[in-house]
Amino acid sequence: MSSAALGGQLRADDVSFAYVGAARAALRHVNLRVAPGEVVLITGASGCGKSTLALALCGLIPSRVHGELRGRVMFGATALSGMKPHEASQLVGMVFQNPNLQLINQTVQSEVAFGPENLALPQPEIAARVGWCLDVTGMAGMRTAAIVTLSGGQKQRTAIAATLAMRPRILVLDEPLSDLDPVGAQEVLATLQRLARDGGTGVVIIEHRVDEVAPWADRVVLMDDGRVVLDEPPRAAWADPGPWRATGVGIPDMVRLAYAVPEAFGSRVPLSVVEAANAVKDTWFEEALAAAAEERCNAAGVPAGRPPGQRNGAAVGAGLEAGPAAGPPVLSWDGVSVEFDGRRAVDDVTLAVGEGEWVALIGANGSGKSTLTGLTVGLGKPSAGVVRFRGQPVRPGKVFDHAAQVALLLQAADDMLFETTVLKELEFGFRFRARPKDPVLDVPEAVEFFGFSGREEDSPWELSQGGRQRLALAALLVGAPGVLVLDEPTTGQDADHMRAFLRLLDRVRARTGITIVTVTHDIRGLASRAARIVLLGEGKVRADGPPGRVFAMPGDLIRWGVLAPPLARLQSELLGPAAGEVLLDVDELASTALARRADVERATSPGAGALRP
Amino acid sequence: MMNSLLVQTIISYLLIFAVPMVLPVVFLKVVGLSGLRTLVTYEARDTPLHKLDPRLKVLYPVGMGILSILFTWKFMLIVFGLTILPWFWLKPSRAKIKVLTVMIIGPAIAGFWGQGMYYLPPPPIHFIYKFPWTMAWLGSPGITTYGMIFGLQQTSRVLVTVSTSMLILISTDVGDFSWAFERFRAPPHVGFALTAALRFLPEMIARTHLVLRAVELRGYDMSRPRWYEFRGWPDYARRLSRCVVLVTVPLLIGTLRGTTTMAMVADARGFGTTKRRGSLRVHKTTAVDIWGYVILVTLVVGALVLNHLGIGARYYG
Repeated sequence: MSSAALGGQLRADDVSFAYVGAARAALRHVNLRVAPGEVVLITGASGCGKSTLALALCGLIPSRVHGELRGRVMFGATALSGMKPHEASQLVGMVFQNPNLQLINQTVQSEVAFGPENLALPQPEIAARVGWCLDVTGMAGMRTAAIVTLSGGQKQRTAIAATLAMRPRILVLDEPLSDLDPVGAQEVLATLQRLARDGGTGVVIIEHRVDEVAPWADRVVLMDDGRVVLDEPPRAAWADPGPWRATGVGIPDMVRLAYAVPEAFGSRVPLSVVEAANAVKDTWFEEALAAAAEERCNAAGVPAGRPPGQRNGAAVGAGLEAGPAAGPPVLSWDGVSVEFDGRRAVDDVTLAVGEGEWVALIGANGSGKSTLTGLTVGLGKPSAGVVRFRGQPVRPGKVFDHAAQVALLLQAADDMLFETTVLKELEFGFRFRARPKDPVLDVPEAVEFFGFSGREEDSPWELSQGGRQRLALAALLVGAPGVLVLDEPTTGQDADHMRAFLRLLDRVRARTGITIVTVTHDIRGLASRAARIVLLGEGKVRADGPPGRVFAMPGDLIRWGVLAPPLARLQSELLGPAAGEVLLDVDELASTALARRADVERATSPGAGALRP
Repeated sequence: MMNSLLVQTIISYLLIFAVPMVLPVVFLKVVGLSGLRTLVTYEARDTPLHKLDPRLKVLYPVGMGILSILFTWKFMLIVFGLTILPWFWLKPSRAKIKVLTVMIIGPAIAGFWGQGMYYLPPPPIHFIYKFPWTMAWLGSPGITTYGMIFGLQQTSRVLVTVSTSMLILISTDVGDFSWAFERFRAPPHVGFALTAALRFLPEMIARTHLVLRAVELRGYDMSRPRWYEFRGWPDYARRLSRCVVLVTVPLLIGTLRGTTTMAMVADARGFGTTKRRGSLRVHKTTAVDIWGYVILVTLVVGALVLNHLGIGARYYG
């Protein structure tokens, strides 16, 4: 390889690409530059061509993914488009979305050594590369660990280490955070920043979770319909919200807040919570928030300086006790524990969900959320305690019986589709079970309600990913379940799809009044939508209360692997424990602050300086 | 009453079908799909067995397999006993012991039960239970003592290979297998195929388990009738076979997506670009390795010599 190539930058010059048989090009005249040491965030709605661009940047298009490619992808003076994959991967490495599919070996070190071994490098060189990659990704302590024992974040870091072992100058990561809890995501992002800053590696991150990546990025690229519609440094990228709104891609909460209250933030757009907090520290905005928080605390009858519900300095779990709405619970876990191979996945959980409630179970990966909800349909067997549906014990293993009462939508909704047409899919559940007299929705209603009119005879696999998820949900609701349990329903979705899904759930709830339990570590919208949050950590209930209260304790949340939403962290950063109950909606927070300012200005004489400018 | 044809027929029916019916149920109850997942999973630990020369580990099941073929039953017992000893060295997890026990005892029972009914020694035949004519037409005159002993012998031969292979699978990182194969001049693809199979088999089993649960969640009745509900069993078999067709689509789609990614990853990491791969592993031959080789070679050579001398040799003819 020439020194010119090694010292160069990655360039896509007028790249267009159409998959074999596709009527429409996936990439259209894309121009992009990535310099060594630069962190570039590429975002856009699902299907806009981000992943295709990643494959092209790594040279896997056209060598492994076939179609019609126009334009050139260059690294310095070297054309990647004509290189073999293993040659291209020594210039530009790719980390795919699902770490499980790209970790081929059984231990961390053998995985990282796999690439250098294939290149037939001498043993000392392989050992040196493995050592460096494990050090830089923070995996040195897990060198001999089996892959199956790693957490999601550790697997992703191992995948990054294995890609780095090929010594690429640029690293392209396709949605590396989608399956990670917020703490795991921060670990990965910190690793990537270290690589860029210290190692001079160019990093391209393709991601929907813009809020989390934006503070780390040097440049932001927005794609729409196969084109690059925006390519700017972060602050300039969000200077005009127009393109973001047009593409339906989420704008970071701190940026939205700055737009909503320009009086407080001025012209400088904050990208992180710390930046936003520094911008409004000791200004009228902070005082307005403090005054509003105190008012909320007084209304709730809790002394300021301590989150409402947290009594006597008790631990989080003991402090926030919300409990179900009045009346007998529809679902309950009484002293439930579940053990796997001698490890307690769920540890003495007592919890009740009232009729019509919307409860979100949050927690880090492996905190016991899915195990706990699986018990409600008989998946798994408690080693202690009882799970009840409307007072009747749930019998372990009797999934068919309990699935009629509790509809469980799995994260991988594709795994829940078995029929050849949309209509047959909706009728599937009635093969073995009589049609309920009082269904949540009957089949014709479901077709109409979920937007499948005219597509009844289409194959489920002809629908978009969001469409397939809607179909799986519709198919569960045509029965007569009393509770809808959703396991990570928004993971990996872009902001637009997530909002659409949440709107759909709102409509379902408004129409049917069904009880909803969501399991998620993706707190972007879902957790704050729920009326009640239950935080799980290491199998135990650590907090239980309204979202505004639970998210007012960012320190405790981090302890259990959860990062509060940016707005909550901002209020906690500014007000500390006095934040009490935080507001989770940008518009509500902005209007509250502005209203307080106006109130105080009206109450005090002009120029009295009740609130600092 | 016990001598009546009807009672004898019922007893024979139970004897013939009880074991084939009970074994799968026991397997599903005790092991299940999740247990099967752990069966081939490598347990990363720091035991002398883990550090043993991978080449010796590859040769070990082969050598013991040869011994199991060459020897008569009495010598076979000694060989079988020898294959059990390293397990005490390894000390596998309780979950693995549970699965392994079922995986070993299950085929053993099936083997000696089947041979007990269908292996007919030369007369005089000693029957443990002789079937009446109403059952004998199925091909078995009854359960014979010698047939069962013969079945146990044959099963033990198979179990020698099963036991040694399992021991090696649990204690050897797949990368070490690849290393050993490459030292034996096998093409890298052999090691890669083994690596991919062992790495993804547990994932595949877990996914199958998940999709089967998803079918039930969608309202597909997979509930088993009770053993005495005879009229329910044909319907259960029909539902089960239909379910296999149903789960194939999501499983196939998921697998194809996964293999595409895996192939691209392997390509990007340069797999297949050189005839001889490098290796992170530097194996320094230890005294344990040398002893291992000496014992294995001694056993195999000794078995061949004894066989040649007609001591403990199996009779063919």
